[in-house]
Amino acid sequence: MKKGQFNFAWLFAIIVGGAILFLAIFGAMNTGDTQVYGSNTEIGKSISIITDPLQAGFSEGSFGQIAFRQETKIRNICFTGGFGKNDIAVATETGMNGEWGDFGGATSVYNKYIFSSEKNTGKDYYVFSKPFDFPYKVSDLIFLTSENYCFMDAPDEIADEVLSFGMPNVGVSEYDISIGKNVGCDFPEAVNVCFGQGSDCDISVYGSCLSKCDSVYDEGIVVKKGEDMNYVGSLMYAAIFSDENIYECNVERLMYRAGKIGEMFVEKADLMDARGCNTNLKGDLFVWSGLVGNATTEDLMNLRPLGDTLERRNDMELCGLW
Amino acid sequence: MKIMQMAFMIVAVMFFFVLVGLFFLGIWVGDIQGGAASLQRDKAISSLRVIADMPELNYDSSESMTLDEDKLRIMTGDFSAAYEVFWPVASVKVYLVYPAFDEVKKCPGFNCNYYEIYDSGQSNVKEYSSYVSICKNMKELGGEPRCEIGKLVVGVKIHEEQ
Repeated sequence: MKKGQFNFAWLFAIIVGGAILFLAIFGAMNTGDTQVYGSNTEIGKSISIITDPLQAGFSEGSFGQIAFRQETKIRNICFTGGFGKNDIAVATETGMNGEWGDFGGATSVYNKYIFSSEKNTGKDYYVFSKPFDFPYKVSDLIFLTSENYCFMDAPDEIADEVLSFGMPNVGVSEYDISIGKNVGCDFPEAVNVCFGQGSDCDISVYGSCLSKCDSVYDEGIVVKKGEDMNYVGSLMYAAIFSDENIYECNVERLMYRAGKIGEMFVEKADLMDARGCNTNLKGDLFVWSGLVGNATTEDLMNLRPLGDTLERRNDMELCGLW
Repeated sequence: MKIMQMAFMIVAVMFFFVLVGLFFLGIWVGDIQGGAASLQRDKAISSLRVIADMPELNYDSSESMTLDEDKLRIMTGDFSAAYEVFWPVASVKVYLVYPAFDEVKKCPGFNCNYYEIYDSGQSNVKEYSSYVSICKNMKELGGEPRCEIGKLVVGVKIHEEQ
């Protein structure tokens, strides 16, 4: 072979060798991406399972923490229509330079109500659960957040409740007249939740319950990013910890389920009547389930007095429907 | 001749890498299937309590693992059709375990001992169970409940090869 001249064997080896190397690198990259996708899908599915024991069940509430090894994004998309669903998808940081992998396959959760921001980022996530009664138990509400919250000048019953769960991401602060500022929250960065008027508030809660309430905050409005969110009962926490669209959507899902449970109690009333355990609630429950089944956040405060009446009447009955 | 040797060599090297790739792919796919099965099992076990405490089946929201007999009867009828997509598992059944029975009799019916709440119709379902109380309010007991021992059985779909 003359100097500087390739023969066919060399040319062939270089072309095929290059092709093999290209295929190998391409395959490895694709496999890596698929592996990240698979892993993220698995994490998404795990979140739906991890939250099972964190549901409040028959307790007043419960708290848990999910710690990831690296920064993790959790996407929560809510769908209405019948029982609706929350689609949970996860993406993790893949490289040292802050690159994010694709979101894994979404896990659809039909029987839970996960209140959070639509997109959350963090290494540690906090899960807090409270039961929601309207007037009977409808479901447990699950609040998922990675941010710190500072409840400023919260009424005693709310401050005590929040502190009793020992959530490390939620603090309570009170105004100290002697130094002229709020003390009690030591987070470097936190979302400030004010109860009533206040300064430096990210979220404001205005209670409006005036009769037959344990607290003025039994119902009211949560103002967040300029949007008003009506709430009753434990939905106050849902409004605080979630985005408006997630809140509205999950409340519609909850109302549909409350309507279905109401229909079930109507049928249960027939079965109880048949064995002499009579109830006078059937007619009102029929109306209630029709009203609540299509309700939205706008209707919550109007429905609450009727729900309270049903609860009182149920408590007075010998057998009781719930 | 040399070209032929080289071509065969390159084909052999490629074949080798494909085999190695298939080997690792097999391990990885097996791992995913194992992970999926493990997640399904975890889901079924944690679902036992979640399902028992659902207001659609629960007797009293202040008591865990206690089912309402009236609600079970309702859920075995047409009412449960609305809940098709709702269940996080492939099947939900409840058996009365005392008194012991020789034959399974579907409820509602005389002397029945088995409530089929939901069945997705999937094959290859593995079942997990937990004991529960099945209660109903009785006028004779002043509105207090009469309870029996039951067993809540939930099924999860398992992979074909298992």
